[in-house]
Amino acid sequence: MPFCSQFIANIRAARVGEAERLAINKEMANIRTKFASPNLSAYDRKKYVAKIAFCFIMGYKQDLGHMEAIQLLTAQKYSEKQIGYLAVTLMLTENSDLLRLVVNSIKKDLDDRWDVVNCLALHTIANIGGDEMAEALAPDVHKLMISPTSNNFVKKKAALALLRVYRKYPQVVPAQEWALRIISLMDDGDLGVVVAIASLVLTLAQDFPEAYETAYEKAADRLHKLVIGRNYDTRLYDYYKIPSPWLQVKLLKLLQYYPPPEDTAVRRMVEQVLATLLEMQEIPRSVQHNNALHAVLFEAINTIIHIDARSMLATQSAHLLGRFLSSKETNVRYLALNTMAHLAARAETLDPIKKHQNTIIMSLRDKDISVRRRALDLLYSMCDVDNAQVIVGELLNYLKIADYGLREEMVLKIAICCEKFATEYKWYVDTILELISAAGDYVGDEVWYRVIQIVTNTEDLQAYAAHTCFNYLKSPTCHESLVKIAGYILGEYGHLIANEAGCSPYEQFQALHAKSNFCNANTRALILTTYIKWVNVFPEIKPQLMTVFDRYRHVLDSELQQRACEYLAMAERPEDDDLLQTVWDEMPPFPERESALMNRLSKKHGDTGDRRTWIVGGKEAMKDAQVTRMKSLKRVTTNGTPTSSPARNRPHGAATGVPNGTTDIMAALAGLDMSGGPSVNGDHTPVLRNPDIDAKYQKLLYSDSGILYDDVQFTVSIKSDYRMSHGRMRIFFHSKLPTPLDALTTTIKSAEHDHLTFDIRQIPSTTVESAGHTMLEVEFECKEFFTQPPTLHVSFLTGSLTTLGLRLPVVIHKFFEPIQLEPQDFYMRWQKIGGPPREAQVFFPIVLNKRGDVDTLGQQAIVTGARIRCLEGVDPNLVNTVGAGVIYTSATGKAGFLVRIEPSRDEKKCRLTVRCTSDAFAPSLMEYIRGLLTAK
Amino acid sequence: MIEYILLVSRQGKVRLAKWFATMPTKTKTKIVKDVTQLVLARRTRMSNFLEYRDTKVVYRRYASLFFVCGISQGDNELVTLEIIHRYVEVLDRYFGNVCELDLIFNFQKAYAILDELIIAGEIQESSKKSVLRVVAQSDTIEDAENSEDTLARLGSLGSRGN
Repeated sequence: MPFCSQFIANIRAARVGEAERLAINKEMANIRTKFASPNLSAYDRKKYVAKIAFCFIMGYKQDLGHMEAIQLLTAQKYSEKQIGYLAVTLMLTENSDLLRLVVNSIKKDLDDRWDVVNCLALHTIANIGGDEMAEALAPDVHKLMISPTSNNFVKKKAALALLRVYRKYPQVVPAQEWALRIISLMDDGDLGVVVAIASLVLTLAQDFPEAYETAYEKAADRLHKLVIGRNYDTRLYDYYKIPSPWLQVKLLKLLQYYPPPEDTAVRRMVEQVLATLLEMQEIPRSVQHNNALHAVLFEAINTIIHIDARSMLATQSAHLLGRFLSSKETNVRYLALNTMAHLAARAETLDPIKKHQNTIIMSLRDKDISVRRRALDLLYSMCDVDNAQVIVGELLNYLKIADYGLREEMVLKIAICCEKFATEYKWYVDTILELISAAGDYVGDEVWYRVIQIVTNTEDLQAYAAHTCFNYLKSPTCHESLVKIAGYILGEYGHLIANEAGCSPYEQFQALHAKSNFCNANTRALILTTYIKWVNVFPEIKPQLMTVFDRYRHVLDSELQQRACEYLAMAERPEDDDLLQTVWDEMPPFPERESALMNRLSKKHGDTGDRRTWIVGGKEAMKDAQVTRMKSLKRVTTNGTPTSSPARNRPHGAATGVPNGTTDIMAALAGLDMSGGPSVNGDHTPVLRNPDIDAKYQKLLYSDSGILYDDVQFTVSIKSDYRMSHGRMRIFFHSKLPTPLDALTTTIKSAEHDHLTFDIRQIPSTTVESAGHTMLEVEFECKEFFTQPPTLHVSFLTGSLTTLGLRLPVVIHKFFEPIQLEPQDFYMRWQKIGGPPREAQVFFPIVLNKRGDVDTLGQQAIVTGARIRCLEGVDPNLVNTVGAGVIYTSATGKAGFLVRIEPSRDEKKCRLTVRCTSDAFAPSLMEYIRGLLTAK
Repeated sequence: MIEYILLVSRQGKVRLAKWFATMPTKTKTKIVKDVTQLVLARRTRMSNFLEYRDTKVVYRRYASLFFVCGISQGDNELVTLEIIHRYVEVLDRYFGNVCELDLIFNFQKAYAILDELIIAGEIQESSKKSVLRVVAQSDTIEDAENSEDTLARLGSLGSRGN
């Protein structure tokens, strides 16, 4: 319904710009008077605001209508509101003062029962929301997102509005507290909701990788359902036969913000998905199909490279990329070059890329500047000692014809490659000087400073450098930067070549002096310094030099004048004075310092939007980035190798405050923002304890299967079996609800992550039908003696989010094995092991039973339950208990141990002795068994 | 994240502009000018991607209009290209063989439809059907309100006539 079409037609009829402006001005004047009149109807207000908005789009910024637009927001009618919101989003920006007036009406509209009105408000927040809106409206937006009564189309808008709020004002979004609830929405049945939530999670996960860790599993699961199961509404979410490429790309990106998965189940899913994507080489049916296919494919390749650049899949990807390099489609060539630069930054060896070196060099001459840029970046990334000469040579050739916009970056990159990969100093000097003479205007000062640093520090190079510089000076045109280098180098090392033919001091002076007339004051000052150095080493040309100084005493530039006067005075001192010699002696080598060039280059990459998961510049650049990124991921581990860290096995927040040998102060500081204590980081549900749960847990300590948790809606039961240092546990979740249970999320945490590790073999399905069940399978490995049982954290949606934290009955005695011993064997071993340190002993008080006796049977039951064999007929005193067992750990190995419990009724005390073949275990075992015995 | 979306005619006139990143008006004007110039200068068979300052520009031409998106460095280019296409498809379905004039005369609809596809610089809904359903719903409401309006005005005219 084009209701201001007449107006628009009028404006379009105006052919000349001036007429258009006149027509608009006339209408605006008209509107101004209309707005001033007291009986402006709502319909007219809407019409006029729409006209103003139209002019705004045309580029005519008007200073009227703001208040009227804001008034429209409070209108009852949807169509008036709609125009009001459109005008507000167009005319007001985030920093506009008037936005303050809007916050209240937006809040009212968010609370409105009519969801289309909610949507208008959400759009506005998502598109122009700033600090003030964020602060006032974040809770309302969150409420709309998670409310079970919200429509799907409200939920996704709310998710993105929340994302905007978070980007603008992160403090008002308790991202960690909301983590579980937000992640649970990733299991929503509506892919529209999932794609919106994925954007939100992707951003939050970058800042709170730990709190959003479960999102990884969700993303893997969802990808699996999309790509392999094709388990979604294909009518709505197939895009030219490709399952929602947008969602796939978002999820694959999410995977790239985390280290490779540790758990077998998740890893298998991810690998399956990636392999399938890589093999999806269909014949494109249309441009759209082709684009969507490649969009996902390149993202998959990026993920593969991220996970493991040495894997089979990565080799396959490299091969594929090579083929894409000579694709007919420009887009594909562009992306192939870009992705290959990623590979170069990650791969162990550059060989697969070098195979295509010629093609890549050819790409430097592509018609499209975008492709040329990518080729340049890739060449820079793949440059190493072997191919530096070829690549730098090619780049130098190309530099002379390159676009002006590219030159500065090219010069820097050439200079860096030269410096990093030069094998001969001569080549280095030649190349850099050629670089400067070819593109002098684009050469920053850093480049020539660096040349001088290197020449000064490398003695073998000095004569050669002086010679080359001198040759450049003699050529008719010579860039000023070259004059500077030549000036400096000849001043320092000119005497090294003074005896060669054609290089006499006088000729050097003439060459340099001829150029000095065309140079600016800075360069001339440098040249004056060269002259005074020459006064020191070339007494034969002193008269000429003195004339120059004398002449410069009268120039207007004060710096030059001062130098000339000072140098003249110095040069006029008597022959036997050694001031001149001391001051103008050869420069000492520079202290080794980092190349200024790298800093310059990295400064050029501003960070906007999502963090990059890799940067251009090959391995070395990557290494730095990796360290910073990993720091930001807060994956501080005890062994200091960030990539291999089993982050999920770490107690939450515990290790962050503990900087170790390899992490510096920054890491410790990076940890600080986490150190608000577990109460703030409420991302993991606290462990639930009550007598009933404790009783179930106690029971499971002594048996391998049973019920762990039970309430009106939900039951958790386990089945487990242990063999030596490994244990396999299946955890079943039974739903008792009349409706399906959604977004089931489970995580396992091990407090002593390097003593007790685990691997999830199968993740439960996210939805549990009414009266149905699903299973989580996990394998535990006891590496070393541990005392803290792991915990299981469960959350699920039944309208609202229910969370549950439980202890898992995995304790050290599950890794014991009972041993049957004959009495004589027992004695023999007992003797053989001997006393401390392989023996540990303790006295502790005991409680007598009702009859006033020692509860020997109870003690024996505990010992047997703890997988220690009670040996009969060993101890003549029947009150005593003796037992034998073996403890299995995979890191420290196995050890046999013998136990003797001697209770005394009279003293109400008990003596416990443990002897173990390994002194590492004896005290811990004793403590543990005492704990069991006193627990009753 | 998508930083901005521009619809620019072959003559360089802006038909629609949506900014998701906050920038001063001056910067916006500069970007519009520079990016328009870059895009208009592109020839066929070149890629659909450009690099401009720290962002990437993804564009595609449909008849006389260029659809231009500015995105962050790490974003997926092709998938952005297909968001543009999805937008065009939805417009096409809604207007029935859409042309530049439709977008000029119904600018508020063009914005409303875009809001259903992309907000906060991220894709919100990729399904054509879902988007069209929501747009149709709001059209129904508008139509009802407009006929009410018309009746009311006719009524007031009538009463004045008496």
